[in-house]
Amino acid sequence: MMASRLERTIGLVLRIGVVASSICLGAGLGLSWLGVRDASGPLFQIGVIILLATPVARVFVSIVEYVNQRDWPFVAVTGIVLLELMASVVEALLFNRKL
Amino acid sequence: MPAVTPTLELIIFVAGVLAGGLGTLLGLAGGIFLVPFFSLALNFSFPVAAAVSLTTVIATSSSVSAARSGKQLINLRLGMLLEMATAGGSLLGGITAQLVAPAVLHRLFGVVAAFIAITMMSRLNVRNVLDPSAETGVLGGRYLEEESGGMVAYRVKRLPLAMVASFLAGNVSSLLGIGGGVIKVPVLNAWCGVPLRAAAATSAFMIGVTATAGAVIYYGRGQLIPSLAAAAVLGVQLGSWCALKCRSRVRVKWLKVLMAVVLAVVAILMFARPR
Repeated sequence: MMASRLERTIGLVLRIGVVASSICLGAGLGLSWLGVRDASGPLFQIGVIILLATPVARVFVSIVEYVNQRDWPFVAVTGIVLLELMASVVEALLFNRKL
Repeated sequence: MPAVTPTLELIIFVAGVLAGGLGTLLGLAGGIFLVPFFSLALNFSFPVAAAVSLTTVIATSSSVSAARSGKQLINLRLGMLLEMATAGGSLLGGITAQLVAPAVLHRLFGVVAAFIAITMMSRLNVRNVLDPSAETGVLGGRYLEEESGGMVAYRVKRLPLAMVASFLAGNVSSLLGIGGGVIKVPVLNAWCGVPLRAAAATSAFMIGVTATAGAVIYYGRGQLIPSLAAAAVLGVQLGSWCALKCRSRVRVKWLKVLMAVVLAVVAILMFARPR
């Protein structure tokens, strides 16, 4: 069934995101507690970015799957969700530049 | 901005374990416990508290949904449709949070905490299931009901109401740093025809995208402190893992009463917080 293939793909994307971000955040925390604070900073940043990127990636693979299924109404729905997420990224970048 | 020390990271990690554990046992994201802890006990500014809490919401959503994928409990179509509303609400909430006075956010948090305490005690559970062969429509779903061991089907009703509730949930989510499931789940279950387990799974699936729209806005303003997010996220993950392991041995009923009391106290303290 097509729908459950999407569900499995989404599950895989989410699992990869959770594991990758937890590894970075955990390594950062470990280094911080060992007193190596300079090395932990970038790991924390990467871990948080992976964490924030995971739901975006999940929306993106959904769009791809709905395009494959030629389910245009849901291509539009997931496309709008992706646009909303992109809008928050643009807002964040614009605000950053102003500072 | 709080000064980040290993001790502070450790305190937040432990708080995360407790919030994640309790949240998982009660079916809440841990944010409702973390935000008041950061705000009242650690004296973080509200946006900093909300931002760290949102990262734990994202992590919980991703790991819970990954574990549930393949069981068809998550209604992907309904989830994605409602995400249009939650992400829009969250986007707006993240921007509004920057403009609203902290005192207003504290009071709003107090009101929401009180609301959660009440819904926790009077937990609705409308069964909403149809014969497995029933026509479910484009948005309905079918899943294997664990309690009865059989396939059940359901149909989604009153979609506009679900959209409004989702928009509101998204708004509250990024304003206050919580998941927002507490608004969506009762509405989906009581009025929109979705069985409780499917409503909870679909809501947990949506809150990742919802919280991301808000968290990115806090991140752009430097209010999301990565080291504190790391401690909180890992703590919550560990806490919910432990809770899943010992779920069957805990008397959830009494825990609910206890937590409703705790939330009522939190509601009063947040409402009375001076700034």
